[in-house]
Amino acid sequence: MTRSTTISRRSLLKSGAAATTVAMVPFWAGAAQASCSTLRAGITGYNVINTLDPGQMTLIPEAYMVWGIFNCLLKFDEEMNIVPDLAESYESVSPTVLRFKLREGVKFHDGEEMTSEDVKFTFDRLRDEAFGSPHRSKFSAITEIRTPDDYTVEIETEEPFAPMLSYLTNTRTGSQIVPKHILENGSNEEFASNPVGTGPFKLVSHEPGASLELAAHGDYFEEGLPKVQTVEVPLIAEESAGVTALLGGSIDVTSTAPFADVPELEEDDRVQVLKQAGTSSRFVSLNNSVAPFDDVHFRRALSYAFDRQAMVNVVLFGEGRAANGIIPSSISWAATQETPELVTLNQEKALAELEKSKYGAGTEATVLTWGSSWWKRFAEVFVLQVNQVLGVNFTVEVSDSGTVYQRMQTGDVQASIWGWLGLVDPDEYAYEIYHTDGARNFEHYSNPEVDKLLEAARRETDLEARGALYREAEALAIEDCPVLPCFESNVHNLLAPDVDGFVQLPYSAFGAQLAAVGNC
Amino acid sequence: MPSSLKYFLTRLSGSLVTMLVGTIVVFLVMKAAPGDPALIVLGDYATDETVAAFNRKHGLDAPLMAQYLDWLGGLVRFDFGQSLSVSAGENIGDLLLYRLPNTIFVGVYAILIAVTLSLVLGTLAALNRGTTVDTSATSLAVLGVSMPDFWFGYMLILGLSIGLGWFPSYGFTPPSDSLAGAFYSGFLPALAIAAPMAAVFTRTLRTALIENLDREHVMVAKAMGHSGRFRFLHHVFRNSLIPYITVVGLQIRYLLGGVVIIERIFGINGVGSLMVEAAFARDFFVVQACAVVFLGIVLAVNYVVDLICAMLDPRRVR
Repeated sequence: MTRSTTISRRSLLKSGAAATTVAMVPFWAGAAQASCSTLRAGITGYNVINTLDPGQMTLIPEAYMVWGIFNCLLKFDEEMNIVPDLAESYESVSPTVLRFKLREGVKFHDGEEMTSEDVKFTFDRLRDEAFGSPHRSKFSAITEIRTPDDYTVEIETEEPFAPMLSYLTNTRTGSQIVPKHILENGSNEEFASNPVGTGPFKLVSHEPGASLELAAHGDYFEEGLPKVQTVEVPLIAEESAGVTALLGGSIDVTSTAPFADVPELEEDDRVQVLKQAGTSSRFVSLNNSVAPFDDVHFRRALSYAFDRQAMVNVVLFGEGRAANGIIPSSISWAATQETPELVTLNQEKALAELEKSKYGAGTEATVLTWGSSWWKRFAEVFVLQVNQVLGVNFTVEVSDSGTVYQRMQTGDVQASIWGWLGLVDPDEYAYEIYHTDGARNFEHYSNPEVDKLLEAARRETDLEARGALYREAEALAIEDCPVLPCFESNVHNLLAPDVDGFVQLPYSAFGAQLAAVGNC
Repeated sequence: MPSSLKYFLTRLSGSLVTMLVGTIVVFLVMKAAPGDPALIVLGDYATDETVAAFNRKHGLDAPLMAQYLDWLGGLVRFDFGQSLSVSAGENIGDLLLYRLPNTIFVGVYAILIAVTLSLVLGTLAALNRGTTVDTSATSLAVLGVSMPDFWFGYMLILGLSIGLGWFPSYGFTPPSDSLAGAFYSGFLPALAIAAPMAAVFTRTLRTALIENLDREHVMVAKAMGHSGRFRFLHHVFRNSLIPYITVVGLQIRYLLGGVVIIERIFGINGVGSLMVEAAFARDFFVVQACAVVFLGIVLAVNYVVDLICAMLDPRRVR
């Protein structure tokens, strides 16, 4: 790893001073080509990057960078349709076989050509137990990968597996194509800090916890991209520090914005605010196997007992929308369209359900949450409302996210505030949370009918029919209230006034979005 | 053995024992904390087997005593081990090497500012007791003490960076890149940390000076015809320095606390921000290394303060 201390705050500051000058350049000067060579794109709210190996990445900031360094066979376009990326085209040869025609002449950062061998290697590596990829289960449905020639790949699954196409996009699923010629004999650990991909940017240096520097990949296969030559990526742990850095001209782009600041920033002409409903789901997870949440009537009473829009207003300062279910509305073909009665505030029904429940007013329970900011407020607003409406006696326990997650996994929890962000397939929400064997079913929920529908949805390759199955499954699950869907939060990017070309996606594809930035 | 040497050796061995006890406490606290670095690194789909393999690989499955001794053995050789979950696989020694100079620079810078401010304000206040100068200096000190450093930090950014554009709003030039750049970009963070310290120092110095001004030997010196300047420097100021320097030394602990927050606000890649991140990620080894470094700094500073006080007042040694 080239450990460089030169990515430095110095260049950052210098360009900070330069930004003032750039601002005075007339608008027509930089219209045709990039008017700046260095883009300063801050990752805000996070600063831990343990690996840049797509097969091992788990954290959001890791994905932010991997998306810019690598490509996948497919990607999402601005309307969240799946379109080819490294693949030129793809087709379904049979219900269990997908065939991909690869682009020719795609180069890795070291100049080697990417071929079907690399694709096969990538998926064999993900499926290899010894490699221990966190994404392995997503690709365990694959039975064989065939490479009839250098530019053709066939992926066969045991039975029809509809989520596969989403998993092959440039998202958090780890299917970014890695170079066989480097990894065949090289070490995975070395690759984690010296990633080589086909993406628009290559890694120049990485000072852990502090900053990264990327440079344009000269042989990138998309004509005219990336538009900037260098990207400096400071890792800014405090979101609010990201705002001041942008306002003060020290950076050009942020990856997030603090909810509370957004309304004010939208009025501020020193900054452009991009926002839209994010691919996220925030909910109260109830442990269905312990009291008092082992009683469906009690769970329903809770679901009726709080106002989700009030939560959006208080917790997110309006930066989100009340949820209809746990499948985010941005996955519009599968999300529940009409708000079900059970996810709206209804005091009478809440009390009626409480009547039927074996637990009454005065029932005690602890709701676990984490952090100091809106996650904590989220728990407080929930507890306050249900305590008021039902007369129960819930309390909030605050911890940190790692602990909450571990306690959910081990079942050492009654209820907790949780959520998922940036997952792109409905299966990742519905199947993994509602299905008896779901990887994220920390609620210990089990309903054979729901399971059956979710399994059918995995096999259904027609998008519309598949979406209908998810809606049906979710409608049933909502009757059981294993989790209490609350809201979806917006994704935000803050841009300096003269930045253009940055297109925001609902799953916040940070690194991939930087290639098209033409002015900064 | 001369009594002074004995004094310093006793103090030194006391520091070393404190250090050892500190390592045990830090180690046990980290072990007792809930949360698991394996789950952070391995993510959503961690299985029991992958977690066990992770723990085996990093020696986290050994008995506690063995883990502690292993870690201590490394420490003695300045081998802090490798990061688990804030920068997986990275040598902690390298992480510290990059960050420690930044933290020390900003810390020392803050102390310099605080000492300079307090020497001026404290002296002015003491020599003009009861006048407007005294009231103003004392009021400033109360203001300084009452302002939380993180709030003051944001106010400085708001006013001097975003408002006036005099200073960068984010980021710090390491002193190894450019010393001038470090002084420039480190000014606001150092000032934010320095303000509450300067307030405490000012009050201490003012009280000590006033107390000494009224002492009999100063009166005697005046009777002997020594000039006011001589009396102040040799009889008043020198004696006042002992409580002053002791307080400066004690404040180092608070300084390190302040650094943790200020580093995050101003984007300084220092040991404080590393430690916070490591604590959240349950990166035991990194937290332990940072804590030991902080402990070492506090003990070293205390030791130096003792030395200085002993020089100013040799009676202490006897």
